[in-house]
Order: sequence, then structure tokens, then C-alpha cells
Amino acid sequence: MNPIIPAAVARESSERPQRTIGAWIVATISILFFVVPMLAMARFALQRLPVALLGRKTLFTHWTLAGVGEVMRDPKFLPALWLSVRIGVLTSVLTLALLIPTVLWLHLRARRWRMVAEVISLLPYVVPPIALVVGVAGAFRNVAPWFIGSDYCLVPLYVILSLPFAFRTLDVGASAIDLRTMVDASRSLGAGWTTTVWRVVVPNMGGAIITTSFLSFAVVMGEFAVSSLLLKRTLPLYMAEAQGSEPQGAMALGLLLMIFTTLLFAILARVQKRSLQKGQG
Amino acid sequence: MSAAESSPSPQRVVTEGPASRRAFSSPWRLFANSTVGPLLPYFAFVGLFLAVPTIVLFTKAFRPIQNTTRSSMVEAMTAQYRHSFVFSVRLSAISAILGAVWGLSLALAMTRIQRPRQLRSVLTSFSGVAANMGGLPLAFAFIAALGAQGIVTRSLFHFGLDLYGHGFKISGFWGIVTVYQYFQIPLMVIVMLPAIDGLRTTWREAAYNMGASPLQYWRRIGIPILLPSLLGGTLLLFANAFSAYATAYALSSGASLLVPVQITFFLQGNTITGKGNLGYALAAWMIIILAAVMGVYLVLRHRAERWRAS
Repeated sequence: MNPIIPAAVARESSERPQRTIGAWIVATISILFFVVPMLAMARFALQRLPVALLGRKTLFTHWTLAGVGEVMRDPKFLPALWLSVRIGVLTSVLTLALLIPTVLWLHLRARRWRMVAEVISLLPYVVPPIALVVGVAGAFRNVAPWFIGSDYCLVPLYVILSLPFAFRTLDVGASAIDLRTMVDASRSLGAGWTTTVWRVVVPNMGGAIITTSFLSFAVVMGEFAVSSLLLKRTLPLYMAEAQGSEPQGAMALGLLLMIFTTLLFAILARVQKRSLQKGQG
Repeated sequence: MSAAESSPSPQRVVTEGPASRRAFSSPWRLFANSTVGPLLPYFAFVGLFLAVPTIVLFTKAFRPIQNTTRSSMVEAMTAQYRHSFVFSVRLSAISAILGAVWGLSLALAMTRIQRPRQLRSVLTSFSGVAANMGGLPLAFAFIAALGAQGIVTRSLFHFGLDLYGHGFKISGFWGIVTVYQYFQIPLMVIVMLPAIDGLRTTWREAAYNMGASPLQYWRRIGIPILLPSLLGGTLLLFANAFSAYATAYALSSGASLLVPVQITFFLQGNTITGKGNLGYALAAWMIIILAAVMGVYLVLRHRAERWRAS
């Protein structure tokens, strides 16, 4: 037996490097492509030094948070951030309020309508944000100017933009639990619909609900087409303006926004992992 | 009535019997007890904020240009605007094909590299984030790296490669294609990973046992099974690039030929030129192109899922 094992090992190890070298080249180039722009952005945002003067000696000098500070002190910054946060929270809430009852009903009583509802939820992929805002302007500008005029007109439009993934996430979440048994048990114990949804269904779909609200919020924090064409002073619009007047600050904001999005996704991965484990146990 | 039909337990029939009889007495009961009733808010919402704007958009797009009988839809496909569409379609197609090829290679590489176990999971999570990245921050990052004063541009110049001297511009065709790869490649990875995992090792072993070479295996088994996902993924990438706006806007400071950027000109100062409806027509054509692409995509996705069922 002894001579066989080394032979097998030897053959395997002589094959391996040949086979994976191509894979490693692809992976390395990809990682460089993904990482370098982020580093460049961080440098631009945090180092106050023209690129021309960048060399071995100056690589670690002139790093500063001044750009971030200037943005924070700008009187237009906080209102923009606050508007984006408000719109983001309202969008998450409205998305859930609209979709949770719909998805539950589709699963419990109207299974035949599921296909229709799902196809409808995918329509925003066909109508891009830029076309949506053109259509909304055309439809409401003369009929309901107060709607276009209000900052809050962004909320329903962002709910529409969130529909494809929000519907899918909640639909998958509802499929993963034994909804019918839970609802029947709760109803036969005398609970009304509101109590059933609020105290039985929602806690059991926690993962899907958190995912949906985070993703909707992330969409709002980054959306530019709709808010810029409707002239709402949200965070991305502020960033676009700052790009001209205070480029370093704008870069710093972009960096912060990217870090924020990444953190959001990291938390989501945790939540999903945990709800998956709970489902198995 | 259909509530009673679909109820599994006899108990429900008893409890809801009187309710449905009462249904005729109050409109609210009728709403709550019918199958479609509780779905109405959803349909109404999508109707008001998506269907109505789209219908208005199309009706305005088919109206004639001022003082002519030509429809805006026709005008939108002539001369300068057609040029804009050709530019957008070409850019989206090339960025989709590049992203698809590189994304597939990366996904294959990720399944092949075993050694640092973390590599695959880190790259998968990263893809989830980067596929959704876009907008202004992405444009900023690439301006910092590949802009005229970008750190990569200057480093390459230092080593003797003058990108801008060779006609590269971050706001130009190839610049935008490069930047879009940042979300195209990860999106393709997300699409392809499950498909590659669906290639069962037993198929490969069976092929090799019957004397197939790796080349034959890929030509006869691997590629035909991956093909629907590959084509579907490429279409998805096309749609993704075609509807992107913020990144291109920020890269070019709003001066790009891309259709979405052109549309904004009409929305901001349209009525003066008398061609206000052109903006609607351009948007309508975008919707038509995207609808065609997404339709084919859905068919392909249906095909791709055949091998993933079990």
C-alpha cells in the first residue's frame, strides 16, 4: 500500500499548479481591478497632495481629514443627508406595508395570482429610472403639480424601484415558513388578522423583512437619476454638486457612502446566515 | 366564495360562512372576503406610479412634433438621436460581452482555486456588494484612478505608457466601458456561480470514463449546459448597462452621448425647442429595447433552471 499513496499524491500535486495557474492569474487581475480604484479614491479623499508630487518620499505625508471636515461644515450637507435618511426610512416602511400583506395573501388565499404579481414586480427592470421619471413628470406635472413639488414624491417612486428585489425577497421568505399552519393556528386560537400578522408572521419572517428594508434604504441613499431630474436635494445630488466645488470632500463622501453600503451588506449576510441556521434547526 | 373553496379545514367554512353571506350588505366585507380584494392596494399602487406614467409617456411619444405631422417616435430614430442610440447600444453590448467573458472566467477560477478557502466566499460576498454599486461613488473612484490626473494614469505614464496620449478618456466610450466592468463582472459572477455548481462532477466523470477528452467534455456537455445562463447573463448585463445613468453622468459631467443623458436635456429645458415630446420618444424607445431584451432573458432563465431543479 505504501508506494501507492505517494504516487497518487505526487501526480495530484504535479497536476495542480498547472491547472490553477490560469485561475490565479484571472483572480489576481480581478482583485487588482476591484481594489485599486477604491485605494485611489481613499488617497484622493484623504491625502492633500497633487498626484504629480506623489513619490516614494511623500507617500505617507499630507494625509488629512480636512476634506471630510469641509463637507461636514457645509451648511447644505446636513439637510441633504437628513432628506435622504427621511426618504430612505419612509421608502422602507412603505415597501413593507405594501408588500407584506400582499405576499401573505398571495401565499394563503390567492396562489393563482402569484405569477401575475411577480411579473408585475419585475416591470421596473423594463422601465429604467430615467424613463420612470420622464413618465412621472409627464403624467403629474399638469394634473397634480403639488405631488411633483413635494420632496416626498420620491417615496412612492423609490418603492417602485425597490419592487423587483423586495417582492422576491419577501416571497422567498414566505415560502420558507409554514405560513398556512401558523396562520390557521393563530386564527383558531382567536387572534384577529392584525394580531396574526404582527405577532406571528412578522417575527418568523424577520430575515426577509430586514433584508428588504436594508436594500430599499441602500437604493435611496445612492439613487441619483430620479432625484436629480425632479430637483430634490438628496445626498447624491449634493455629491454631484460638490464634485465641482469641493472635489476632495465629494470623494470623501463617496468613500463614506461606499463603506456604509458595504457595512449594510455585511450585516445582511450575517442576518441571512442566522435565519438560514434557524430554518435548519 | 373562493375563500371557502380554498379553505383546508372545515372549521374555516363554519367561521366564514356568515361573513360571506354578510358580504352583500357592506362593500368593505366584499373587499376583504374576495380573493383579489386584498391585492388591490398593490395593483393600484403599481398602476398609479408605474403603469400610468408609462402610458402617458407612450401617448406623448407618439404625438407629432410641432408644425409637422411626423411622430416623435420617428424623429427619435433620425440623425443625431439615432447616433445616440447606436452609441448606447454599442457601449452596452461591448460592456456586456466583456463583463460576461471576464465574469465567467472569474467564476470558473473561483470554483477551481481551493487553497485559501476564504477566497471564494470573500469574492462571492464582494460580488453581491459590487454588483449593486454604481452611481456617483463608483464614478468618483475611477476618476481618482483613471482620470487625467488619476493615480493609475500617472503611474502608467511614469512607466512609459501614455493612456491619454493614446486617446483614452474616462468620459469616452472605452472609459465608460471600463468603469461599468466594476459592476458587470460581479453581476456575471453571481449569475454564473450557481450554474457552474450545477455541473455535476458525475457528468464529468462519466464523460471521462467513456474516453472523452476535457475539450470534448466542455464542447458536448459543459458549454451546452452553461449556455442558457451565459446568454441570459449577457442580456442581463446589457440591460444593466443600458439603463445606467448616474455613473456616466458623473464621469462626463453630463455631456455624454448616452441616451439617458440625452433625455435629461429634454426634461430640463424642453418646451422652448418645440421638440419636448422627443424626450418621451427617447424614453419610449429605451423601454421597447429593454422589454425585448428582458423578454428573451426570462425565456433563457427558464431554460437554465431546468438543470438546477434537483
